[in-house]
Amino acid sequence: MEASNQTAVDRQEPSVRVPHSGGEFLTFRLGKEEYGIDILKVQEIRSYEPPTRIANSPPFIKGVVNLRGVIVPIVDMRLQLNCDTAEYNSFTVVIVLNVQGRIVGTVVDSVSDVIEMQADDIRPAPEMNSAIDSTFITGIGKIGERMLILMDIENLLSSADMGLIDVVH
Amino acid sequence: MNEAMTDGNSSNAGIDLSQFYQVFFEEAGENLDRMEQQLLEIDIESANDEELNLIFRCAHSVKGGAATFGFNDVAELTHQMETLLDKLRRHEIAPSTPMVDVLLQAGDILRSMLARHQGSEGDVADPTELLASIRALSNGKPMQKLSTPAVKPPSTAPTTQLVQTQAPVEPVAPAIDEVSSEAFTDALPDGSRILELRVGPLVDPGQADNLVDLFKEIVNLGTIEMLDGGQHQNGMRFFKVTTTSPDNELIDLFSFHVSREQVQLIQLNREDTVTAPSIKTDGELQQPYGFFSDSPGAPSEASLNPTAALIGQETAIAGKNKSSAKGEKGGSNAAALESSTLRVSVEKVDQLINLVGELVITQAMLAQNSKHIDPGLFQQMVAGLADLERNTRDLQESVMSIRMIPMATVFNRFPRMLRDLAAKLQKKVEFVTKGESTELDKGLVEKITDPLTHLVRNSCDHGIESPEERVAKGKSEFGTITLAASHQGGSILIEVRDDGRGLSREKLLKKARERGIDAPDSMPDGDVWSLIFAPGFSTADVVTDISGRGVGMDVVKKNITALGGSVEIDSAEGYGMRVSVRLPLTLAIMDGMSVAVGEEVYILPLSSVVESFQVQQDLIKTIGNEGRVVEVREEYMPVLELERVFNVPRFNFENVSGIMVVVEAEGGRVALLVDELLGQQQVVVKNLEANYRKVNDVSGATIMGDGRVALILDIGSLVRRSRH
Repeated sequence: MEASNQTAVDRQEPSVRVPHSGGEFLTFRLGKEEYGIDILKVQEIRSYEPPTRIANSPPFIKGVVNLRGVIVPIVDMRLQLNCDTAEYNSFTVVIVLNVQGRIVGTVVDSVSDVIEMQADDIRPAPEMNSAIDSTFITGIGKIGERMLILMDIENLLSSADMGLIDVVH
Repeated sequence: MNEAMTDGNSSNAGIDLSQFYQVFFEEAGENLDRMEQQLLEIDIESANDEELNLIFRCAHSVKGGAATFGFNDVAELTHQMETLLDKLRRHEIAPSTPMVDVLLQAGDILRSMLARHQGSEGDVADPTELLASIRALSNGKPMQKLSTPAVKPPSTAPTTQLVQTQAPVEPVAPAIDEVSSEAFTDALPDGSRILELRVGPLVDPGQADNLVDLFKEIVNLGTIEMLDGGQHQNGMRFFKVTTTSPDNELIDLFSFHVSREQVQLIQLNREDTVTAPSIKTDGELQQPYGFFSDSPGAPSEASLNPTAALIGQETAIAGKNKSSAKGEKGGSNAAALESSTLRVSVEKVDQLINLVGELVITQAMLAQNSKHIDPGLFQQMVAGLADLERNTRDLQESVMSIRMIPMATVFNRFPRMLRDLAAKLQKKVEFVTKGESTELDKGLVEKITDPLTHLVRNSCDHGIESPEERVAKGKSEFGTITLAASHQGGSILIEVRDDGRGLSREKLLKKARERGIDAPDSMPDGDVWSLIFAPGFSTADVVTDISGRGVGMDVVKKNITALGGSVEIDSAEGYGMRVSVRLPLTLAIMDGMSVAVGEEVYILPLSSVVESFQVQQDLIKTIGNEGRVVEVREEYMPVLELERVFNVPRFNFENVSGIMVVVEAEGGRVALLVDELLGQQQVVVKNLEANYRKVNDVSGATIMGDGRVALILDIGSLVRRSRH
């Protein structure tokens, strides 16, 4: 699969990663952390509604919902990133993303705003071990005191670990 | 035209094929367009196999459809084209420019033939010459001199009034009144026609004399004589023309000297050299009786019983001016055909369906929230909501029905085809269909028709033996071809079965080796049968116009794979074969039974539900302390607790699963233990894999009335699970 090839290359040669070109990012909160994703991947933002559970799926896959007649899986990023709490209240929102022609909903604590970032404002992400594979972090955005973790949501969601997509052999 | 066709069919085969004509015409049009495009793109020096195969397949598809519907002229021409193309793709002869020219011309003629079958006006050139050229080319001989393409699409120049035809005139039935017969055109024995040519108004009437020179310069164009003795009347000039060329060609020629708008051609009666009354037809052209003489089903009945046909036609045109009855009929028919269907992209329909689904949910929500308002105070609002509910329901029904059509529409095409085919092959065939009411997405139906046609033809041609052979083998004289459709798990299964001779393993292996395919003796049966899907692979000894070129199965496989489906072959030599076509359910309506387990709802396909009953826990016995079984009507069957299969979280322990639903699939039965039966309803099957992945034991999902998603169980997989 194209996406996983891409990540495989990244893993071997992290140093050749192209510097971030900047752009517009949708920022959201997961626990205490603030993340940013490419606005162009976002289809819409919805309030959370309990999905239909799918048996024997990993815990971060909450199930599927009906999005105007389309069956869409819901991934809870907080469970995926080992946040302390994952509450479902009236502020909990679902960011509906369109990645590689597929529609996926991701649960986050709250959506903050849309920020335009220049390439200069983006620092490379440090190589480190965390719940999120560092290859999926494209950079760290700095806005005053705020630190924005810029995520490669496309590759994260289509990675084999997520199990969202059947791996084609 | 329709009356004639329907008459013909109903009296001879009992099936009305005309409902499928439109699909065929559309498909054939697409195929011809594709063929033309390929022909134009092809590089003569280095034509690659894929291109040649594509052209071949286009011609083949058109031929198949035309033969099914009895458009013999189309089938004949495509058959000749196919012979040529077949040699080309086998590299027996090298492609050349004349070949491309001939094939393009053939394409034009085919289009005009199809247009005529469709009921539009316009003349069709005699394909005899072209057929001869194609034959010559396929025999490797240089081409005969071809005249310029004789056929063009029906002229569309709005200001040019054409009253013409080249079709041979049959004796006019006495029932046709005089005015219409007067409008009829006569053809001279050699096929030439007498026309009155009106030119003008011209600023310089002398310009028109150039037209006379034109006839002198161009051989075979015909003759022209002045009717006005060289004098103009208000700038108008009149000529009499005797020619074999069609009007549009003449006008093309005349346009060198005078503009098209100034040319008028009027058909003259042979005896009647006096200027015929100018008939303004507003685009509806006069057609002679018997114009559709070679339409399917029409010929024998129509000519045997002209009065019956006429009565039908007259009732159809009651109220219309009889003088142009025939012409009007042709014209209105063509118009009706054009507007009767609309081809819309599947995406648009899908979008519509999704939007309506959303609307239904919104409406349900409104209804829920407005339940408690006082109808006295908000009378209009309540009435409005009621209207909304009704309209929404109607809208949903109509939108859903756009896409779903029963398999019967496909199956109904076959009895007639098989009947003709069996007669041609001198075989006796019985045709059995099962599951005609299985509803299938329209998009799939359209695309599955061709492959199924190929499969059924193959069964009849290669599978079923001759009656003598069958009797000698101890079989019934009648071969049986069965077409069966059913929902199975997450797919639709269409089977084409015959009890003929089956596939011969040795023959296939031998053929494969001849073609350079690596085929060891140890090859598994499944792989051997799959050999027939290779392009150009045929075990038939004789190439007929029915099958045997080895193109059919290749196309079948390609088309079905393109639909995301699969084809499997099962065969026993001497006993018959079965081709199973499995197609995904992109959108199919299914009768479902909804059951509750804990807080969750699952859907069981109703077709697989055998019975349900309340069960006492102590009736469930164990085998080896693990496997649980229950006795139902003296049969022990495995018990599956849906709660365990799907790890359903349970909050209310008082309400334990106490309902047993016996389901059946793949020849096995299991008893599913559920909490509650919620009801039966039609559900729209949605694909989970579009945005997610395959889920074990689940064939798809559906959206319930409240907008929530419910999973549809894959009974086949549950039955398999119980076996392990």
